[in-house]
Amino acid sequence: MGQSDLDVQIEKLRNCELISEDEVKELCNKAREILIEESNVQRVNAPVTICGDIHGQFYDLKELFKVGGDCPETNYLFLGDFVDRGFYSVETFLLLLALKVRYPDRITLIRGNHESRQITQVYGFYDECLRKYGSICVWRHCCEIFDYMSLAAIIEDKIFCVHGGLSPNINTIDQIRTIDRKQEVPHDGAMCDLLWSDPDDIEGWGLSPRGAGYLFGGDVVERYLHNNNLELIARAHQLVMEGYRLMFNDTIVTVWSAPNYCYRCGNVAAILELDDKLNKNYKKFDAAPQEVRGLPAKKPAPDYFL
Amino acid sequence: MDFRNPYREDTSIQDNAIRETNDDAITSKFSAVNTGYIKDDFVKFFVKKPARRPPIINRGSYVRNKQLDFLITKFLDIGGSDVKKQIVSLGAGSDTRYFHFKSLSRKFYKYFEIDYPEVTSKKVFTIHKHKELFNLIGSDAKIGKGGTEIYASDYCLLAGDLRKFVEVLVPRMESNGFDRSIPTLFLSECVMIYMDPEDSNKIVEWAGANLISTMFLVYEQILPNDAFGSTMLQNLKLRNIELRGIHAYPNLESQKSRFLSRGWSHAEAIDINEIHDSHIDPKELARMSKLEILDELEEWHLLAAHYCIAWAYKVIDESQKLLYDQVRFVDYRKKGRKGQSC
Repeated sequence: MGQSDLDVQIEKLRNCELISEDEVKELCNKAREILIEESNVQRVNAPVTICGDIHGQFYDLKELFKVGGDCPETNYLFLGDFVDRGFYSVETFLLLLALKVRYPDRITLIRGNHESRQITQVYGFYDECLRKYGSICVWRHCCEIFDYMSLAAIIEDKIFCVHGGLSPNINTIDQIRTIDRKQEVPHDGAMCDLLWSDPDDIEGWGLSPRGAGYLFGGDVVERYLHNNNLELIARAHQLVMEGYRLMFNDTIVTVWSAPNYCYRCGNVAAILELDDKLNKNYKKFDAAPQEVRGLPAKKPAPDYFL
Repeated sequence: MDFRNPYREDTSIQDNAIRETNDDAITSKFSAVNTGYIKDDFVKFFVKKPARRPPIINRGSYVRNKQLDFLITKFLDIGGSDVKKQIVSLGAGSDTRYFHFKSLSRKFYKYFEIDYPEVTSKKVFTIHKHKELFNLIGSDAKIGKGGTEIYASDYCLLAGDLRKFVEVLVPRMESNGFDRSIPTLFLSECVMIYMDPEDSNKIVEWAGANLISTMFLVYEQILPNDAFGSTMLQNLKLRNIELRGIHAYPNLESQKSRFLSRGWSHAEAIDINEIHDSHIDPKELARMSKLEILDELEEWHLLAAHYCIAWAYKVIDESQKLLYDQVRFVDYRKKGRKGQSC
């Protein structure tokens, strides 16, 4: 696959058009070569723009690029949950992956809890692949790539970025580096916790009502920042109506980048821009207008109790 | 306002959309049955196209069905299960509650179900087709009005428009055994919310004014004005569904005052978050958490905040209040706290 082929594919994907199954396979092979070289905790340089959950909301991802600037002009860090729930998980994930292959140093993708075989079979990505390609081969290729994605990122040694949160099994960043990440997201343990946990107004650790990961309090965050000489934890994973939310005296921030989540929640989305001195600038954005978004041929309506 | 009048196209499109909400509800219930949340052997007969719903919808279907069943059971137990009682299920659609309760050997003096003839005719057809259903109604059951109604000893399915409840439906219920003197439960499960308040109010007023002891049980949407609520109204509008009643009763307080301001003796309203977190047995919550991963927690909280169960009773004999006060949920949170302090 030459660079011009890749550029053609990126153009197609930017228009929310599918690329062929063979092209997906080749793209995934290339992506694997790149991701396999990345660390469990991938180093990222500032300036960088941090983005939270996207969940297949392709037209809202385009809004995000409008607000944050295109890749590669803007350096991006996506905190996972590219797929499931929205109508266009395939196009969304493949576009981000194609950008990763084309501009490996200008976009970082880390793994979210939805980048998993088990979860995508419940929350839509599996069905979408089957519907759009008539087979599950594309889903298989993508799931294999999920296993190679980094678990976390660290910006200029100061900002720790992860999809979910902390783990009682992890005190130092070096401990994350020792995880063998090339596997399906386990049901428990450090790797699971990084992708599933949530901050909460408690002391210490608590059981997560999600059934995976833990709840962790401000004291846990403080200790972790201190142990690792960090300033901030940036994470995603939880819908926040206002797009981003700071907790525990601004030691942890949740960034959420899926506006009107599931076409139902009415929330705004946000991204976090960091300049070269790590100054923060939060940018909020709304869902793409209906007329831009277009409608899938068979419009699945958001669920309510009727 | 005749729903079959071709000159009132807007109304008929909306009426049609509302009738289709029945298919949606029964499909969701079937999904919850199939995923193991609830048990009901009869839903399967009414589902046209089975579909698996996401975990939050299954969880919500559980809360809706289980907790409404719980309150209905409490009502049926008032004064002992031998005391004659009747239920009026407004806009019953394909609801299987009658069959479910009958299979559990519950007794009714009469269980009335009312819906549009377009809906009841399908129900008659389905009941007639499956002996598992027809046998529960009893061999003396008769089908009438062009296959849109059923008259049986403890079950009566009537076709009609709830906008003409007092003028048309009450006389028809009475000619089919409706008894103003016995405890009567009205059930509105996402039904009055689709009606203009002036129409639904007439039902509440009539029940409060004409029965000796009566209870109303409502499950419907609230909070139309916040971000989630206004998105909900927009999304439903795209499906031609208008929640005509939501602005008249937009919160828990107004859900109660709907009844209290009309002279009802007592009213309660609780949102689904509160019911889920406080009034479901922790053992059940633990069981459900093993059925499916509920990853959409924040979304669940949003969705559940926008639905409530409200109930009210009106009794002429004050001494009956104590009996009706027993129709309430178990408070497991309180119980838990008590347990810890002991």
